[in-house]
Amino acid sequence: MNRRVPVESDFTSSLRSPAVASRVGLWLGVCFGLAFVTGLISHEAYVAHPLIAFPTRPTWGYRVTQGVHVLSGTAAIPLLLVKLWSVFPRLFARPPRALRALAMHGLERASIAVLVAAAVFQLASGLANAAQWYPWNFHFRATHDAVAWIAIGALLVHVAVKLPVIRATLGADIDATGHDRVGATTPGPVSRRVLVRSALLASAVAVLATAGSTVPALRRVSVLGVRSGRGPAGVPVNKSARAAGVVAAALSTDYRLVVAHGGREHAFTRADLEHLAQHTAELPIACVEGWSASGRWTGVRVRTLLDIAGATPGRDVRVVSLQQHGPFRETTLPGQFADDPLTLLALRLGDEPLALDHGYPCRLIAPNRPGVLQTKWVSRLEVQG
Amino acid sequence: MNAVRVTIAGLGIAMAAYGLEQLLALGPANLEATVVWLVGGVLVHDAVLAPLTVAAGLLLARLWPGRLPAAVVTGLVVVATVTLVAVPVLGRFGARADNTTLLDRNYLVGWLLLVTLTLGMAAAAALRSRPRRASSGRARTGGGSGGTSAGRR
Repeated sequence: MNRRVPVESDFTSSLRSPAVASRVGLWLGVCFGLAFVTGLISHEAYVAHPLIAFPTRPTWGYRVTQGVHVLSGTAAIPLLLVKLWSVFPRLFARPPRALRALAMHGLERASIAVLVAAAVFQLASGLANAAQWYPWNFHFRATHDAVAWIAIGALLVHVAVKLPVIRATLGADIDATGHDRVGATTPGPVSRRVLVRSALLASAVAVLATAGSTVPALRRVSVLGVRSGRGPAGVPVNKSARAAGVVAAALSTDYRLVVAHGGREHAFTRADLEHLAQHTAELPIACVEGWSASGRWTGVRVRTLLDIAGATPGRDVRVVSLQQHGPFRETTLPGQFADDPLTLLALRLGDEPLALDHGYPCRLIAPNRPGVLQTKWVSRLEVQG
Repeated sequence: MNAVRVTIAGLGIAMAAYGLEQLLALGPANLEATVVWLVGGVLVHDAVLAPLTVAAGLLLARLWPGRLPAAVVTGLVVVATVTLVAVPVLGRFGARADNTTLLDRNYLVGWLLLVTLTLGMAAAAALRSRPRRASSGRARTGGGSGGTSAGRR
């Protein structure tokens, strides 16, 4: 083995071919497309005033889109690696001499660099986030969203540049050699078909190994799932009362839920809330990290409290938690959610009083919303003007 | 055809520009932290993962000259994927003492189980395919790469 930097022609395996790259790339494109669209949906669900009012149905909508988001990202990991493997020799391609050709070569190189950087960034940051690991100093949600646009943009540019090769190789037999690199004629240790199938199988295994965090039927199969589904009343917890620093305030006899509207305030103890009409709803907690679990919640309709305060329908409600810190201490509940009969201030989960870690004395639970907006330890509802 | 390509590229540039604008709007400190990870990701792939894969390929070729049983390569791709995906849970980097519902499995056992099962199945498939390979001689050895694929389709 020599020690110089390799050149493209050092890679003689015919496995590293456009035929493999386009096939794996097609599946990779499907995964990135799914992750992008579901990511946009998640972003819309987060912001208080999206372009289109976020729907309250189906109740399991966000659970499905966010599950698809995280699983399509997981599925993309082996596809991206095999895709990069198949084109790795191109990294060492010699730039052309002619000025115009050199400029085009440079531009293409730059677009590929952006694409690879953004793609690896999205998958790595997403994978770590799903396990609640934040080894970085950037704001995850906003940055993951911004880089997603860069990744998809660079992907489209790449597809535009390569479209003739993509069409030709996908239209021909996988073993056709018409578009192979010059000199890449050494047979690989396996066929191209086996390589592509291996990448797809690896995707499927990665999905099965992790999907149990959101698909209850797979809980026993998903040995790498971040959550097994255990927790108080059969529902996992994202942030504990201790981590939120609310234990004393939540257990205090001074606790009151205050409903504020038009300069007037109504205060309720937990016992007061228990004496109001109780309703039960089967609704999921679905977190941005991709885990979800369904629960049977019982409590007071938010609309009932707004009626007591004299608020007309369609008003946004600011929901404030006992938490002293954190970006989701205060959230906005859009009018369509506040008025929905399934939107509760839950006092019970399953057959038990709400656990402290689930938001005792009371928590918000609404259909089709991201978990962090299902505010726990609610102390205040303010009807917006 | 050309109009299609120009349209796709134009849309791509516009989307990437929007993303860049969003990224810049998050401020210089956020940008710096992001660039470290953007560049770091490429370096980890191009300078670590890819050369390791090349080295593994060379090693495999030396240990096992000629064509490999398909199941062995498939098994290795699956094991590599599962291992990479398992890094955050094996390391338990996000674990919190006050939350027992998070990272609540024995991931080392799970990972070992997956790897053992995959390699076991790959080995079984490879062994099962051996007699057939021997009896059919060279019939399968050329397929898949040199364009001598008449018998494969």
